[in-house]
Amino acid sequence: MLKILVCVKQIPDVDLVKMDPETGNLVRAGVPTLTNPLDLNALEAAVQVKERYGGEITLITMGPPMAESTLRECLAVGGDEAILITGRPFGGADTLSTSYTIVKAADMKGKFDLIFCGKETLDGATGQMASQLAERFDASQISFCYSIDDISDGKIRATRALETGKEIVEATLPCLLTVEKDNFYGRLPNLKAYLDSKTREITTYTENDIDGLDLNLIGVPGSGTIVPKIYPPELPEPGQIIHTGSPRSDAGRLIEILAEKGSI
Amino acid sequence: MATYNKITPEIAAQLKAVVGERRFSCGADVDPNYSHDEMPIYGNHFPEVAVDVETTEEVSRIMKICNDNRIPVTCRGAGTGLVGGCVPLAGGVVLCTRRMNRILHYDMDNLVVRIQPGVLLKDLAADALAHGLMYPPDPGEKTATVGGNISTNAGGMRAVKYGVTRDYVLALTVVLADGRIIELGKTVCKTSSGYSLLHLMIGSEGTLGIITEMTMKLIPNPICDVSCLVPFPDVDSCISFVPKIKLANLDPQSIEFMDADIVVSSSAFTGIPTFPERVKDADVGASLLVTFVGADEDELDQKLIKLGKIAEEAGALDVLVVATSSNKKAAWAARSSFLTAIEADTRLLDEMDVVVPVDKIPAFLLYIRSLGQEEGIVIRNFGHAGDGNLHIYCCSNDLELDEFKRRTKIIMDKAYAKCAELEGQVSGEHAIGHAKMGYLHESVGDDVFALMDDIKRVFDPNYILNPGKVCDASLVG
Repeated sequence: MLKILVCVKQIPDVDLVKMDPETGNLVRAGVPTLTNPLDLNALEAAVQVKERYGGEITLITMGPPMAESTLRECLAVGGDEAILITGRPFGGADTLSTSYTIVKAADMKGKFDLIFCGKETLDGATGQMASQLAERFDASQISFCYSIDDISDGKIRATRALETGKEIVEATLPCLLTVEKDNFYGRLPNLKAYLDSKTREITTYTENDIDGLDLNLIGVPGSGTIVPKIYPPELPEPGQIIHTGSPRSDAGRLIEILAEKGSI
Repeated sequence: MATYNKITPEIAAQLKAVVGERRFSCGADVDPNYSHDEMPIYGNHFPEVAVDVETTEEVSRIMKICNDNRIPVTCRGAGTGLVGGCVPLAGGVVLCTRRMNRILHYDMDNLVVRIQPGVLLKDLAADALAHGLMYPPDPGEKTATVGGNISTNAGGMRAVKYGVTRDYVLALTVVLADGRIIELGKTVCKTSSGYSLLHLMIGSEGTLGIITEMTMKLIPNPICDVSCLVPFPDVDSCISFVPKIKLANLDPQSIEFMDADIVVSSSAFTGIPTFPERVKDADVGASLLVTFVGADEDELDQKLIKLGKIAEEAGALDVLVVATSSNKKAAWAARSSFLTAIEADTRLLDEMDVVVPVDKIPAFLLYIRSLGQEEGIVIRNFGHAGDGNLHIYCCSNDLELDEFKRRTKIIMDKAYAKCAELEGQVSGEHAIGHAKMGYLHESVGDDVFALMDDIKRVFDPNYILNPGKVCDASLVG
């Protein structure tokens, strides 16, 4: 039976996040959260593998306690067990310390044959996690996975979608995959699974529960990067649509505006 | 038969003086969009003059000029209609209300909002939400104006629970054909005060007066909602489930119907397979998208459990839950894309918007499909299963226009006759315009049709308001 790990992240609804112009901080308070959509593609790929080859899917996420809702959402569509890594010392982690933490926590559940990740998150968008995780898990990696064609004899064969065409690759297990959405759109949970997911047990790890965790390598101390400031890009002045009711008067108004600006 | 005058340079000058040069256009300068709505099959008719009005007083002055000179006036909002309602069949003036788009005042004690007619449905919905309120009518076309919604008595997806636009109009300011300004209705919850001219005005498609301000009822926004998709192997079992949902006292907010064809076409159009075509190794023949609202998640879970039980008994393939914000967005975006998806891959299109008793939906769909096969016309459909309102589209990419019209007319004639036989109505929410006038006449009979015309004459003795629409057959033939 394949042991499958799926890494997921709860993110703020990026369409609704605003920036505090005074502090330059993102205002997340009161902003609805959602599961990173690309992680749901990864989960769907994992569920398809489980349906085809058998297996057990473990979900893992790091975040505040409310990230539990993301795990429950994923349990409802095919996850078998879920791990939430939470606690203040993990806060402020960049991808370096996050990947370290995820791997140490996952190790608590033994070795995984397949690891699935979204290719990036919509809030951070670094795209670094998958490769870091593959390295730390000592796993081979298949990125831009378009289809999973075969898993047998300790190997996986998959098709990658590249800008120049498709590429069929084979890798040994353990293997980490990031997927394209084409064949892996997330599914809706059925009612029973949805209701069951509300009461499923979730394993919660704090910094004290993970074997061999070096506190110097998690959270801010373990991060290789710092973000001193966030600022919005300078946007050009928005265009003005002239729609007065007729082409002739539109043109007249345009001439007026250009004259007002001294352009003509 | 009404006779109309052409707009002379003198009359044009008077009209221009009311709105100013920038909001006036005539002849070749008129926006070509003013010659049609969203159903191009019904042809183009250009006005002589178009005015973009901004105030009730301007509308009043325009109407007085036009009435004195017997100039036809066709009121237009966003032009998103589907039956030619805003198309100026007799030329004259198109009076466009899109610049009257201000939300004027919220009365939070009485939960009402006063708005101008050109406010878009999506803008009112969003603004009400920002006030913690909901504007319940939810027609699929979110870029329609609320004034247009009132003029057609638009319904939409939430009509099952909340009713239609009519139920949310408390008061209107209306300019009559001769320019008089009248107030209809008050901000009260009930009235037993003579004939309701307010309700006569609602759904009258700009043939009795021009609505220039309205007071709309709002409700507190429901705290929680959840939707579920209930797939069935066939249309019959799917529709048979609708009354069971109601009888189970589940009080759904909406019950939307989609058959397999429209799901495939929507997936192809959006590129996202939101609604499954196969469930548990079985082909999905038709699905219902059911939405519940409630005070908390527990209440909704109880409804879902009950729904699951009756769905299983009714032969549903499964019950899939749409609970996360991403899934809700995707599901409703897919549902809202149905018409656009049809339009995108269809060269020739005609539609009907019949409403039949809910239990008659399968019989009607079966019949219309057989008609389509007989005439070689592709039939696409979706609709509001909870209230029996079906949107049915006749589509072709191969036929010449005249042949398409000929065959579609055969289908429409027979389908509306079938609709009458099933005790249905010509239009559930798209209204009559000029495209469906003949079918309205057949449906209601001579006496009622003549009464409608009598009413029209009282309001508009010169027949200048939106000529050739609803019950004004003077331009036919």
